[in-house]
Amino acid sequence: MKKFLMPALAMAVALTAGSVAAKADVLDKVKEKGVLVVGVKTDYKPFGFRSPDGSIIGIEPELAADVAKRLKVKLELVPVISSNRMEFLKQGKIDLMIATMSDKPERREQVQFIEPLYYSDAVNILMSKKVKVTAWKQLKDAPICGSTGTFYNKPVESEYGAKIVAFDGTEKPLAALKQGNCVGFLYDQSLVQAKLTEPEWSADYAMPLPSIMETPWAMAVAKGEDRFAKFMSDVTKDWMKSGAIVALEKKYGIAPTAYSQRMHAQFK
Amino acid sequence: MKKLSALALLFAFCACLPGEAFAADGGRPSILGALWKWAPLLLSGFAFNLLISVLAMALGTVLGAVLGLGLVAPSSGLRRTSHAATQFFRNAPWLVLLFFCMYLMPFEFVVGGAVVPFPGWVKAVIGFALPVMANTAEIVRGAVQSIPPAQWEAAESLSFTRRQTLWMVILPQCVKRMLPSWMNLYSLVTMATSLASVVGVSEMLTLTADALAAEGGRTDLMAPFYGFVLFCFFVYCYPIGVWTRRLEARYAVK
Repeated sequence: MKKFLMPALAMAVALTAGSVAAKADVLDKVKEKGVLVVGVKTDYKPFGFRSPDGSIIGIEPELAADVAKRLKVKLELVPVISSNRMEFLKQGKIDLMIATMSDKPERREQVQFIEPLYYSDAVNILMSKKVKVTAWKQLKDAPICGSTGTFYNKPVESEYGAKIVAFDGTEKPLAALKQGNCVGFLYDQSLVQAKLTEPEWSADYAMPLPSIMETPWAMAVAKGEDRFAKFMSDVTKDWMKSGAIVALEKKYGIAPTAYSQRMHAQFK
Repeated sequence: MKKLSALALLFAFCACLPGEAFAADGGRPSILGALWKWAPLLLSGFAFNLLISVLAMALGTVLGAVLGLGLVAPSSGLRRTSHAATQFFRNAPWLVLLFFCMYLMPFEFVVGGAVVPFPGWVKAVIGFALPVMANTAEIVRGAVQSIPPAQWEAAESLSFTRRQTLWMVILPQCVKRMLPSWMNLYSLVTMATSLASVVGVSEMLTLTADALAAEGGRTDLMAPFYGFVLFCFFVYCYPIGVWTRRLEARYAVK
């Protein structure tokens, strides 16, 4: 019995190993299957969110659709969250990740980033329209609401002299801003812009200052997928050249970021 | 009386909606309008919760029945192994078991050259089936041991084998005794399926968070949307609870 079992087991192991070896080139796998599986966010408007019919829409799903079109394959979107997106990529459950992932050294060790980085978040202020400012220096002694624990509260206070009133989360500082406890809300630019797509905020608030402290976002593929990474790198450059990302930002109602505009100018 | 209290709860749910719930203001839909728009998606998510709960319960019950019989087996080795498995899965946090299944199981299997996908929700079913298995095993053991020993002796004197005694005398009486606790367990599993949102399964709670994000994180929508989730689970689980209590009363061991 054992004599029979051992070869069978060895064969099973060889089979699994074979499938791992075959997985080495994801680009071939995608073309063979005719499906590109992309991991995107579903709770990050306007980058990846749900429409009431359940489908996933937004800037990142549109980028994913463009990649699938270039590969002449169908697109399958898989919802990911921050805690599982890199795991899914390593497992091979998704072929490509476009999921608002900011650039961190420890992440670069785990997955293959696509250069140039396709997007960048930054820090900005959702400012009351009653306040007329054009430069950060003008914020001296201005009361600004912030969120506790963000890395930019202190630098903004020490460099520009703003008085940060910190609350936890994002809802409390936003409520304080509405009640007039402060003149602006200092936070991630992506959230500030998302708020400005809502009529509730766009009527009395704006984003008059240039963004500071850019934190780029990266698309990623699994480690070792050099051919696919090269392909994606070319696609990204092409997006920057054609201004596709700037166009998508406009389509989804947010002001193009300084990063997207700069990249567009650089590659044009 | 019970109907009255359920009605009161429904009324309280409606009353907690702010006054502006029924009127649209300035371009954005009213609270009820938003809820109406998202309700089909949220309810499809709830159906997914129910599917996960039913499958986890079915799988867990079959495995648990086998494990439970192992707990009362004459062989001490089998009894000890079953005991260890039962204690392990009964005392592990459900969320940890879920994480374990989610991140340690492959996303697809290769069976004879064919690739069989193994989606996240199936892993969630297995993750929930494990504690169900252990709890069902304990329910089975408790029921078997609650049958008076005199019945075993009577069966033996009629020259029934152990298997015959178990299947023809003991277990038929156990079913009634197990039913209330088993239904109680099902209720718990149904409520626990919302934990799957933590590991990224698109069930009702995940979709609710997505819907809130798509509505631009409006704070006035949070209480009504999560209230709707509570309401759906309540409407499903409450009748099970009532039915369980009735069965308990009917089958009470005097």
